Amino acid sequence: MVLPAFLSTCPALADKTAEPPKPLQLPSLPQLPKLSEMPKLPQNLQIHGFFSQGWLKSTDNNNVFGNSSSASGSFDFREIGLNASMRPLTNLQFSAQMMSRTAGEGSPGNIRLDYGFIDYTYFTGEASKLGIRLGRMKTPLGLYNDTRDVAFTRPSILLPQSIYFDRTRKLALAADGVHLYGEYRSDLGDISFQAGVVRPLVLGSETEVALLGERGAALPGHFTPDGLFTSRVMYELDEGRIRLGFSASQLNMGYSPEYSPTPTDPKHGDFGAGSFRFTPLIFSAQYNAEKWSLTSEYAIRHLEYHDFTSPSVPGSATLDKQNFTGESYYFQGVYRFTPAWEAFARYDVLYTDRDDRSGKKWETVTKQPAYSRFAKDITVGLRWNLTPHFMLRAEYHHVNGTGWLSTLDNSPARGDPTPHQHWDLFSILGSYRF
Amino acid sequence: MIIKINVARFVLVTYLLTALLFWAGSASATDSYEVITNPAVTEKTLSKTPLRAIFGMRLQTWPDGTAIKVFVMPDDAPLHAAFSKEKLNVFPYQLRSAWDRLVFSGTGQAPETVTSQEEMLAKVASTPGAIGYLTKSRIDGRVNVLQIK
Repeated sequence: MVLPAFLSTCPALADKTAEPPKPLQLPSLPQLPKLSEMPKLPQNLQIHGFFSQGWLKSTDNNNVFGNSSSASGSFDFREIGLNASMRPLTNLQFSAQMMSRTAGEGSPGNIRLDYGFIDYTYFTGEASKLGIRLGRMKTPLGLYNDTRDVAFTRPSILLPQSIYFDRTRKLALAADGVHLYGEYRSDLGDISFQAGVVRPLVLGSETEVALLGERGAALPGHFTPDGLFTSRVMYELDEGRIRLGFSASQLNMGYSPEYSPTPTDPKHGDFGAGSFRFTPLIFSAQYNAEKWSLTSEYAIRHLEYHDFTSPSVPGSATLDKQNFTGESYYFQGVYRFTPAWEAFARYDVLYTDRDDRSGKKWETVTKQPAYSRFAKDITVGLRWNLTPHFMLRAEYHHVNGTGWLSTLDNSPARGDPTPHQHWDLFSILGSYRF
Repeated sequence: MIIKINVARFVLVTYLLTALLFWAGSASATDSYEVITNPAVTEKTLSKTPLRAIFGMRLQTWPDGTAIKVFVMPDDAPLHAAFSKEKLNVFPYQLRSAWDRLVFSGTGQAPETVTSQEEMLAKVASTPGAIGYLTKSRIDGRVNVLQIK
């Protein structure tokens, strides 16, 4: 024990005696080993994470993620995530991600389990793979839903809101249950699929409003999700030069009001128990060249109401007649000037009801503005990758319609001014990932 | 007259410099490289489709059941760009977005990034099931060369 200690002091002594005096040396700080020399993490453990902070400034009282139409804009947009994965066996992977998202009234930033599941590959070969996942998985919807909160994987600060609504995002985010997945690879391209039977996590108050109306959602009642069937098939040529996708999901959900409707009591609703069937379909296409990428997605969403009648109220099935089909699409082009700089442009359209694209019928029936039933968004933006781990973004939206504006951030009922039809939004965002 | 000569000289020098740059550039880009594996990997040849699946992080085991361990250079390394484009037929940004989709949805893992060719050689030589790529002149007996069909 003493000998090594003695030996280690020897060179220092020798320095002092034999060598000419050196320039003053500061005591060196304890150094971390270089990344490549770090002790190996066990069982292929990998840890990754991200942190994004945005700033939004909008016009005409139309608020996006907080009070963005105020003079100073809104910093109320933050995404923080940390994930870990490990492969204890070649055919077994454990993955989990915790995250916190702050985005206006709808997302207050609480920390939650974003996903957490066991992935078992039942069969794997040079050309094909088949496996199962159990736990909480991201819902496979379109090209971006699986990693929608990771700024680096998005084409822009805000995803095209016509398809990736942020206001009713909770239903689409992730769900608990079982997924089957598989892929088949050949020289003609790869085909992969994911299909699952899951239980959605929470509806979120905005979804309840979207389903029952503002008055209906305010009444006490219970939602009982019967199950969500979700699936996506992707075709990819040359590891993503061409990507074609089709996502189909169906959500069945029951609802029963706390109190049965009675004609005499205005506190009670005018509908009884019933059920919803929501069927979103998304078609996706992307072409990736060296300098540019073109992306387009089209979605059609059918919402069906069943029952909701009540024997005690004549003509009580007010919700039963509200079946409608929403329609969305966008076209997007990205150009990479250099690996560090890219620009994009997008035209994004949402119709809440494809049989009433102008919203005029809705206006006649509900006395709500017609322009709250659609949104046409022209966006241009820039991305600057300062390092592989840090990027800055800026984008500008010119929007006609308020179809995807959050009703929580823009609530005339709570004293917010009524949003305007034509409005603009500017946003910048910085994001770090590792 | 004098001006003309100067212009001619200038053009000539510029032309030569440009040619030199092009020559140097193309020389470094075509510096031939090979796909390498840990010597314990029994595969000697591989076709393009499984090679792409391996570097796309979607094929995780060798036929004998050993786990595949993928090593890559940073996204902006010229060797990584050449390998991605020529051997895999993809651009580095596509690989990065494919890896990001796996890592941030939990459905896969990212490859390990090495910062130099020395490190690539050392890591592939010492990690069971490892695969990577290396300039020909740096390859020695510690790793195997994988023929791509």
